Amino acid sequence: MARALTKKDQDGNLYTRPAFVEEKIDGALGQDLPTLLRRSQVTQKSNPDFLPLECLVHLIREFRRQDDQHAMSTFLPVLLRRCESILKSKVPDDYLPMAEDVREEILGEFSLLFAEDNPQGATTELDYYECKFFHAFRTFRMPIIERARAEREPLVSLPAEDKSGEEQDIDEVLSRLSEEFRQPATQINHASRNELLRAIETLPRDQAKAVLLCYFFGFSEESEDPSETTAATLCDVTGRTIRNRLGRAMNALSKILKKEDLCQ
Amino acid sequence: MNVSDSTPLKDVLYAFSMARPIPNAELLDDFARRYPTHAAALTDFAVSIVLDLARGEDDEEAAHAIEPTVSKAVSRAMSRFQNKLFEVQQSRTTGATLAATQSDVVNPFAPLDRKGFRHLAEHLNCNAVFVQMLRDREIEPATIPPRFTQKVSDELSVPMELVAAHFAAQPQVYGGQYYKSMEKPRASTRVSFEDAVKQSGLTEEQQTYLLGLLS
Repeated sequence: MARALTKKDQDGNLYTRPAFVEEKIDGALGQDLPTLLRRSQVTQKSNPDFLPLECLVHLIREFRRQDDQHAMSTFLPVLLRRCESILKSKVPDDYLPMAEDVREEILGEFSLLFAEDNPQGATTELDYYECKFFHAFRTFRMPIIERARAEREPLVSLPAEDKSGEEQDIDEVLSRLSEEFRQPATQINHASRNELLRAIETLPRDQAKAVLLCYFFGFSEESEDPSETTAATLCDVTGRTIRNRLGRAMNALSKILKKEDLCQ
Repeated sequence: MNVSDSTPLKDVLYAFSMARPIPNAELLDDFARRYPTHAAALTDFAVSIVLDLARGEDDEEAAHAIEPTVSKAVSRAMSRFQNKLFEVQQSRTTGATLAATQSDVVNPFAPLDRKGFRHLAEHLNCNAVFVQMLRDREIEPATIPPRFTQKVSDELSVPMELVAAHFAAQPQVYGGQYYKSMEKPRASTRVSFEDAVKQSGLTEEQQTYLLGLLS
């Protein structure tokens, strides 16, 4: 049976692994290393030999606790290769300059978590990765990606700011934002939503933030009620600043979307 | 509501991320109220998660196929891992000698006995001196042809990343060997793969074969 996790959530409850992860770990713990090595390289979920990344993290931590250096050094590269394939989708070469370096940085930093993991079983960051690997891994990678983005931002060509946008185009953008982001989860057109998100991503970050807070999350620009959370309170600016940012963002988006022939 | 603004930002972000696949206003509002000093970071993070959707949902099957060969990124990550592990172990083993701690760092050649050593040399088409240089990391890792690293990996039945990480780690003197000297041997400076081939007393045929891997 898999060792219990020790990390607690913000309400003081212990994190627990999903049942399917527990099941996979239980099945894997008794298997020999060659079998596990073969299984660890299977990435199709439908394959009965598939070991989820949560399970692989658990196994590597167990090897660390047992001070089995050979097993640890055999399985960690496999985990890193699986992470690398995820990163190639999430940080593709055309996403930002020197994306390959960013992927390398993420993998390198991530590998350190295993070296720093406490063999005595003390609470560590890796507990998160045994519960929901993808959610934990995005938490890990995003600050590194954002840092890289910030460093490289002057190198990225941004759409020119133009305040003479036509009202009609802006109305179309607003309508599309509302349409795409207010859909029930089951009716989301992923391709269309992702195209819109990619367009928003090209905006300066403060504008993108204003757009998403108001249109994706649905926060008000500002409120007279001081206890209400709004886009303005979250960004620690005035409502007027949010409106200015939205205005510039709409102008830029209408041009981007028109250019891409997406806004029809 | 449990308001605890002293929680480290990293833990707050993990908790936020674990709560929902895609954050919504309610979650962001809740966390921003619980952790007001982290509200700005949480907002940036929530926005990043949403923008990240542009490159698809988190799904291994939708991701790129795993590379069949070792990548530079994985090799370097393994090297960083080994170095950090060494550092962590060293800090935990107060008073232990460097040599003793170094023996804890994985060396894929370490399990080889004399016979295994000779057998490996034969299969790599080289000699024991050359294998010893590989074992002790005396060859500049950047000059070792990937095809050769792959062959070593195959012969030792260990992942190529592990072999590459071993080559990339700091040179060492293998503690299990005897030495004839007034002083304990020290790790030497590294030589290129080409120089190692020329200086190891290999036959002409072996040299030609190994140098051919460079092209």
